[in-house]
Amino acid sequence: MNAKDREREMTTQQHQTQYICRIRFARKGSLSYIGHLDLMRTFERAIRRTELPLLHTQGYNPRPVLVFALPLGVGISTESDYVDIAFSVPVPPEQVIREMNRFLPPDLWTVDGVVVPEGTGSVMAAVTSASYRFEAPQILPYVKRALEADSLLVTKISKGETREVDIRPLILMDLTADDAKGEDAVCLLFRAGSRENLRPDLFLSAVTRHFAYDEDAAANCRVTRTGLFTGVFPNYTDLKEI
Amino acid sequence: MSLQHSYHPVTLQHRDLMAVQNPARYTGGEWGAIIKSEVLSELIATGRTDTVRFAFCFPDIYEIGMSNLALRILYHVLNSSPDVWCERAFSPWKDMDAILREKKIPLFALESGSPLCEFDIVGFTLQYELCYTNVLQMLELGGIPLRSADRTETDPIVVAGGPVVYNSEPVAPFFDLIMIGEGEEMILELTDLAKKKKLSAKTDHPMTREEFLLQAASIPGVYVPSFYDVSYRADGTVQSVLPNRAGIPSVIQKRIILDLDAVSYPTETIVTNTRIVHDRAYLELFRGCIRGCRFCQAGFLYRPVREKSAETLLEQGIALEQSTGCDELGMLSLSTSDFTDLSPLTDGLIEAFDGHHTSLSLPSLRVDSFSLDLMEKVSSTRKSGLTFAPEAGTQRLRDVINKGISEEDILSSLDLAFQGGWSSVKLYFMLGLPSETEEDVIGISDLVRKIEQLYFDVARRLGTRLRKLEITVSTSMYIPKPFTPFQWEPQDSLEAFQRKQSLLREKLRSRNIKYIWHDLDTSCWEVVMSRGDRRLADVLEKGYRKGYIFDSWDDCFSYSGWVSLLEEAGLSMDFYSRRREEDEIFPWDHIDCGVKKEFLLREKKRAEQGIVTPPCRESCSACGADCFGGGVCYERERS
Ligand code: SF4
Repeated sequence: MNAKDREREMTTQQHQTQYICRIRFARKGSLSYIGHLDLMRTFERAIRRTELPLLHTQGYNPRPVLVFALPLGVGISTESDYVDIAFSVPVPPEQVIREMNRFLPPDLWTVDGVVVPEGTGSVMAAVTSASYRFEAPQILPYVKRALEADSLLVTKISKGETREVDIRPLILMDLTADDAKGEDAVCLLFRAGSRENLRPDLFLSAVTRHFAYDEDAAANCRVTRTGLFTGVFPNYTDLKEI
Repeated sequence: MSLQHSYHPVTLQHRDLMAVQNPARYTGGEWGAIIKSEVLSELIATGRTDTVRFAFCFPDIYEIGMSNLALRILYHVLNSSPDVWCERAFSPWKDMDAILREKKIPLFALESGSPLCEFDIVGFTLQYELCYTNVLQMLELGGIPLRSADRTETDPIVVAGGPVVYNSEPVAPFFDLIMIGEGEEMILELTDLAKKKKLSAKTDHPMTREEFLLQAASIPGVYVPSFYDVSYRADGTVQSVLPNRAGIPSVIQKRIILDLDAVSYPTETIVTNTRIVHDRAYLELFRGCIRGCRFCQAGFLYRPVREKSAETLLEQGIALEQSTGCDELGMLSLSTSDFTDLSPLTDGLIEAFDGHHTSLSLPSLRVDSFSLDLMEKVSSTRKSGLTFAPEAGTQRLRDVINKGISEEDILSSLDLAFQGGWSSVKLYFMLGLPSETEEDVIGISDLVRKIEQLYFDVARRLGTRLRKLEITVSTSMYIPKPFTPFQWEPQDSLEAFQRKQSLLREKLRSRNIKYIWHDLDTSCWEVVMSRGDRRLADVLEKGYRKGYIFDSWDDCFSYSGWVSLLEEAGLSMDFYSRRREEDEIFPWDHIDCGVKKEFLLREKKRAEQGIVTPPCRESCSACGADCFGGGVCYERERS
């Protein structure tokens, strides 16, 4: 089942009372190198190792009900991502965090959590932007120049067709000042979510292509998602504040 | 061994991980992976440890290796010992292979990141013959000389085990020693000896490799290839295999575990972060097989049958499901239906997993009303395909191969299944079985057509509209293997196989039938490797130098390349695929799997006359495997 179906399942299965916890999690190291489906699977199995009363979908092939805020690409670490987990009885978020941290693999852990009141929209639909930290030698001046440009064209390949796309409008803000590591790191806010989404690797390819940033350094650039936000820019709120 | 070694862990760069398929193959960090932190701190602080460091190597990619039960069992057994830290290493896929070579990064184990050359023992499990060049790849990338003869006191001891080592001659020169049979006890006897060697390095009399191997050779089941000389006759067949040192056994008998309830089994095991080929937890029901199908090597190698008790299995199954979080538990054995207490076991598991949404997978289940009922109960995805393995198309040929399944059996169980709503059937056959004629090949399509007809007959009888029928027919090429009654038989030629395949393709044309066949080239090469001798080691090394790795992957395999290398070495495909004389000495005759050559010859003659041999539980055919003093051979006495 794909994420969309799960989400639908979560909102339509009203006959089944569900108690949803929104859990903030982080990953690094080896766990950064798995794709979205593997991450979902890893979470599912970890929760199954706990004794938490996980809710399953009904029907032929019952699955736990997990909804992730925004897929993470292979190679990207995160400090602040979200998953909604449905339980069949109320469970205090602290207990979820404690139990899950006992059973998740070493490089994946939960940070905190809240109970999601009934009728709250899906966490996936809420996401409008995401912040990323890019760490690579001397990357700051190159990124500064990229941000000054009116447009940033990148080549996108979809369904065998190559297109030139301008990603400049998808870059919302430079957050480097809040999260500075000298010349070797930048932090940016990108549009994110199911409608418009800027992937960090596309941004990096634009910086190497138009501003001659070293390709090797870009390939080695460590990308960390530092936060997810909701609301229309500039009136956006960190999901952890909700 | 590793007194001189220090600790130089490999850390791959981000860009290298991002440049390859599925980087999680190389990062480790799984739930259940064992990091012995005291040993690791010792290594970091001093570059050495008294703990025996064992690198368990699987010569194929991570997703295949992690699906292997032997790896999981021995990883657990080794790490249960306070004197050993066992880690894992896998073949890097071609993309990572290129990066490691280009950047001169050694192949490393996932837990500590140590290059293979820093280990005391580097152990390979050899599950199929076509992995041999990957062993060479792993050794070379790991910084270890390929041949036992070239290794020095500072190199690791390189060992092997697994199903194909019953004839390990083609790779014998690459290994310092080979463990024949089930490893749980033997491997700890070996690490005990390695511990002694390691400690002796601090004394005035350090144990040399030669001394180590001499002592290892007295561990039952251990075969040290360099202690045996092979001589050949003018026609290329083996004249003799003889020990070249005093006190070395002339025949090496396999080791087995008699009491499977008492032996340690991993109820906590690694849960991978990325999807693997067999992505579930496994219970091992029993070892061996009572049936004696004459084509099946496993059926003879693993005799006698030894079962686990339903209580042990229930306990282990419940623990595994809990500790791994897997939503599927697989039952493993050569023939699930032959497990004595299948019904209490599955009932117990179903009850224990109530509300967990955990399914059981029961492969190689004979189809009857009991199993149909069971399948309905245990499977989360309803009415998945049914599987039959008639192996041959006619009753005559099924009698020759001693496959105790009749057309009537198949049709009556399918009648039942079709009534129950099943509509998807998979059928497995082999082409090229001894004595096969065109009639037998046509027999396959006749049987398949009868099944197709049956489906519509059932529909008419019940007056229901049925779902679309899907029959999948799969044929593989029969490979006559050592330690079977057919070890004397020739392998069909490539041309004969092709002819039979196209005949079937023609006959099986129907919208309800899908015909799939296996790659023929690799099967032809497999017969060379499985019945081969030590002279093939040079051929393998040359092939590896030409870049031949991942031979088991059809698109990596170069048939013509291997054939020409074989010819360059003065050998031929025909020599290895030919019919063998009854008195011929085989390259593997110094290995004893319990089942005796005289029995196999008796079975060969019965096959020629089309006489079937009953399963062990019906009557004992005195195959020789009772020499181990346990298992099914003594069941009657006990009861
Ligand atoms: S000795 Fe008899 S019972 Fe034992 S494995 Fe052989 S045939 Fe079966």
